[in-house]
Amino acid sequence: MNKFDEARKEYESIPIPAELGDRVQEGIRQGRTARRTRLRHRRMWLSAAACFTVLAVSLNISPTIAHAAANVPVLGGLFEILTFVSYEKSEDGINYSVDVPQVEAEGDLTEKVNAAIQETMDRHLEQAQKDWDGYREAFFATGGTEEEWNDREMDVIVDYTIKSQTDTRISFEVVFAECWVAAREERYYYNLDLAENRNVTLQDLLGEDWVEISNAAIQAQIDASVDADGFTYFFTPEEGGFTTVDADTAFYIREDGVPVAVFPEYSIAAGAAGCPEFPLQ
Amino acid sequence: MSIPAESTLEAYLVAEQAKFYRLAYSYLHHQEDALDAVQTAVCRALERQDSLRDPHAVRTWFYHILVNICLDTLRQRKRIVPLSEWEEAGREDPMPPDGHLARQIDALPAAVGTVIKLRFYEELSLKEISVVTGSNLNTVKSRLYAGLKKLRISMEGAEIE
Repeated sequence: MNKFDEARKEYESIPIPAELGDRVQEGIRQGRTARRTRLRHRRMWLSAAACFTVLAVSLNISPTIAHAAANVPVLGGLFEILTFVSYEKSEDGINYSVDVPQVEAEGDLTEKVNAAIQETMDRHLEQAQKDWDGYREAFFATGGTEEEWNDREMDVIVDYTIKSQTDTRISFEVVFAECWVAAREERYYYNLDLAENRNVTLQDLLGEDWVEISNAAIQAQIDASVDADGFTYFFTPEEGGFTTVDADTAFYIREDGVPVAVFPEYSIAAGAAGCPEFPLQ
Repeated sequence: MSIPAESTLEAYLVAEQAKFYRLAYSYLHHQEDALDAVQTAVCRALERQDSLRDPHAVRTWFYHILVNICLDTLRQRKRIVPLSEWEEAGREDPMPPDGHLARQIDALPAAVGTVIKLRFYEELSLKEISVVTGSNLNTVKSRLYAGLKKLRISMEGAEIE
C-alpha cells in the first residue's frame, strides 16, 4: 500500500483554486433556481385553479434554464435508461421542458416501449400546439390585442421518473403536462421484465387473486380517507367512483416491490385529489 | 422536498468541495474545466435532489453525477481540440513530474482509472463504486484487477474489498 499512499499524497496535494468556493456557491444558486422552476411546474399540475393563480404570478419570469444535454445512464443490470431527448426552449409563447427516456436493452420489448413513448410524446406536443393556436384565435376574436397576447405563456412538460429497478425489472413513469389557463396532465407507467422480455402485470406481483387483493386495498384506503365530517374527495360508485381494477389499471412498482395503482385525475375523485395512488398490500 | 433536506445537501457540497475538485481535476487536468465540472455537478445535484431517496447515499449519488460530467467533458474535448494543446492552455500542472504511480494512474483508460481512483483516493467500497459508475459489481472488480495489473501492483499487499 506504500505506493498508493504516495500516489494519494500527490493526489491530495492538487492545489485548490481560490475561486472554488465561489463556483460552488454559484452552482448552488443555479441549482436552486432550476429546482424551483421544476417544482413550480409540479405544483401547477395539482389543479387547474391553482395553476391559474400561479401562472398569473409567474408569467413574466421566463424560466428558461440552460440545461446541459443530460445523457446520464441510470445504474443498470441488463439495461440502462438514458435521457434520449432533453431540451428546454421557448418558442412562440410556449415554454418546452422535455426529458424523454429511452430504454436500452436486448430484445424487442424495449423497442416497442421506446416507440410507444415517442408516439405519445409526438401526439402531446402536437396537441399542445393545437390548443395554443386555438386559444390564440379565440383571444384575438374576443378583442385581445397583440400586446396583451405577448404576455401569455404556456408550459409544456415531458418528464420521467424511475420508480424502482432491479437487475432485470424496471418500473418508470412518464409525465406529459400542459399548463396555461388550464392544466392537463397525463401519466404513463411502464413496468418491464427484461429477462422475460415482457410487461409485468399485477397478477405477476399479487398472484391469482390480484383483483380481489387490489380492490380490497383500494377500498380500505378510500374508506380511510373520509374525515370526521364525512367528507372525502373520492366519488361513490354511483357518482362514477372506484369499482374495480382491471388489466388496464395503471400501476408502478415501488422500491420495496409493492405495486402502487394510479388513477387519472378526475377519474375516481375530485380534481383536487390529483392522481390518486394506492399501495396494493 | 423539505427545506432542511436542501440545506443538508448544500452543507455536504460545501464541506466536501475540495474533494470534488481534486477528483474532477484528476480527470481533466485543467483548472478551468475542473471548476466548471464541479459547478455543473453542484447545480445538477440541487436541481435533481428529489431523485436522491436515501440521504445516506448522498456521496455515491453525487459522485455518479460528477464522474459522468467529467467523462462527458472528456468526450466533448476529444471532438474539439487535441488533448496536448488543451493541456498547454491550462494554467498550471500541479502533478509532480516524478510522481510515477500517480502518472500511471492518470494514463489508465477512463473506466479503469475511475475504479482505481475511487477505491484508493476516495476510499469507496467496490459496492459504492458500482453505484457511482452504474456498472455491476463484477465489472468493477474486473476493472480493478485490470488496473492493478497494468500498474504492476501485487494484489497481495493491496486491500481490495
